Amino acid sequence: MVHVLGVALPDMQLARLALTNFYGIGHKTAQRLCARLQIHDRSKIRDLTAQQITELASFLASPSTAPPLRRMPLASPTFQPPPASTPIEVLRKRVTELSKPTGAEPLRNLKIEAEGRRVVRENIAHQRMIGSYVGKRHAMGLPVRGQNTQSNAKTAKKLNRVNRFG
Amino acid sequence: MLPLSSCCRHATRSLLAFSDSNAACVGLPALNTQVRNYAKARPGVVKPSSHGFSKAQKKGKGGELEDTDQAAATKRKRYTAFLPMPVAQLTHPLFETDQRNSQLQLQSFHPEILTEAVISQALAFPQNDKDPSRIFGLPRNLLVEYRILSKPCSVIRGVTIDVINRLDLASQEGSTNHRLVIAGSPGCGKSVLLLQALQYCYMRDWIVLYFPRAISLVNSTTSYAYDPRTQTYAQPVFAYQTLQRLLTVNGPRLEQLRTQAGVEVERRGTVPAGASLADLVKVGTKEQVLAPTVLTAVLSELGKQTAFPVLLAIDDFQAIYCKTKYRDPHYSRIQPYHLSMPRLLLEYASGLKQFARGAVVGALSGTDTTFKLPLELAEVLSLPPTSPSGPYAKRVPELQSYAKGLSRVSVPDALAVSEATELFDVWTRDRAIPAAPNDELFLAKYSESGGNARDFIWKGLLSTLTL
Repeated sequence: MVHVLGVALPDMQLARLALTNFYGIGHKTAQRLCARLQIHDRSKIRDLTAQQITELASFLASPSTAPPLRRMPLASPTFQPPPASTPIEVLRKRVTELSKPTGAEPLRNLKIEAEGRRVVRENIAHQRMIGSYVGKRHAMGLPVRGQNTQSNAKTAKKLNRVNRFG
Repeated sequence: MLPLSSCCRHATRSLLAFSDSNAACVGLPALNTQVRNYAKARPGVVKPSSHGFSKAQKKGKGGELEDTDQAAATKRKRYTAFLPMPVAQLTHPLFETDQRNSQLQLQSFHPEILTEAVISQALAFPQNDKDPSRIFGLPRNLLVEYRILSKPCSVIRGVTIDVINRLDLASQEGSTNHRLVIAGSPGCGKSVLLLQALQYCYMRDWIVLYFPRAISLVNSTTSYAYDPRTQTYAQPVFAYQTLQRLLTVNGPRLEQLRTQAGVEVERRGTVPAGASLADLVKVGTKEQVLAPTVLTAVLSELGKQTAFPVLLAIDDFQAIYCKTKYRDPHYSRIQPYHLSMPRLLLEYASGLKQFARGAVVGALSGTDTTFKLPLELAEVLSLPPTSPSGPYAKRVPELQSYAKGLSRVSVPDALAVSEATELFDVWTRDRAIPAAPNDELFLAKYSESGGNARDFIWKGLLSTLTL
């Protein structure tokens, strides 16, 4: 069992499914995260290396301040690689020079756990502050999106309030 | 002849070509405690952990015994290919187990006897420790079939002799002129033909490298990482497994070969010229990170030497020409020529790299619909396209260049009557067919299947309700 930012990721679970245990990460975001960290689809949490887990933790700790992705150069069919004895720093420098900057990155605006819950709370608080219908319904603990109240409003009556998620 | 239980044990241990993650997690059960799952009442459906565990499942409903049953059932559920019950467990007199082992006597598959005279005869493949189909694995259809049969065998057809003659020519020439792709309708016998070619070459002292499921190179089941030196995504684990299998099957031949130039390896200096190729392979098997470099170097050394011809056999050949399921950090799908293993196969298949003596043989497969025959390959092989074609359809120029010069080997859609008769005979003598083996049954099933080999066996003989 690996713990990343306070969330336990079970060893035997597929990595791209285990990441959905984070609040704010669903299946699509988890797949994008795995692609970013070069984790293949059938990899389990116990197959991840320590470096991959560290990268994951550091990315999720603050997605907006992560180093920007660059488009790495990819070999054409006639590309001849340099000899294996070439120092790694020379190779990295060459590849960085050839790489291109990326445009927008969807994962940059990722908000998980406490930050994600705060966003939801602030949205509801904003609706209440401006005195909207949505805000009033949250305050009354009734369905917000036009559902029936004559019957079947159990979930809304249980969960809807201005201060959701504590 | 080996009893069925030993056959199955062999099959269990080695005929499965697992990816790295599967191999790590599957523990093979003891065969003598195996029970058919459908006959056993299951305590309950086991939910995946993402759906959360109920208290009952956590504590174990009804106590320890059901827990272990459930755990055992979960463990058994992981097997995707059929595993038959050993004959020794069929104790009821209805199964007539005492009469099972003596019926199937087949001549052994030997290159010396492969002439026109043996067409329409079934020959049994040899079974030994270093058998390539055992070490490299088999395609799933063939694996299941050979588990049901008491010994792996195949019928020699006219097209088998043609391919063998072609390979005899290739053994003296470079692989650039001998890049074959076996094509035909679904179930006509492409994988079996490839296996026959592989066994022939192996027995003729070729060095063989077989990829029974090339889809596992491109379906995101093995680790990958960007390599700044080659500017591609390396697949170290798959390269490592390939090197291990290459060494196991071709060990004695690789011991006799020597490197012609020094081979540079990252962080390990240079393997000097004159070193044995087997030692070079062992450098790659000691550290997974070095495996892609070592595999490329080993294949290029094999390409230069002329002592042994080399066969590169690839089943699911179309998969290495399709966009892979791997994603780059920007979430776009990676092209096959940007992944180390498919790129290596594409280079030899296209003639960019070649073996001084040898051939590259691929077999198409339509089983997996996520990796269908791409347009670039269909056009080169003059096959009907499976995707929208025409002048406005997009074609990838790199894949077109990798597909140039491939020649097609067509397998006939229908078995000849004599071949079908032999096949019928083999399954009958192996007591696989519940019905009475007579001309009526044979002709009925042959007509219903239209001569298609897979339909004749699976939908005809094995699924028949006639008695």
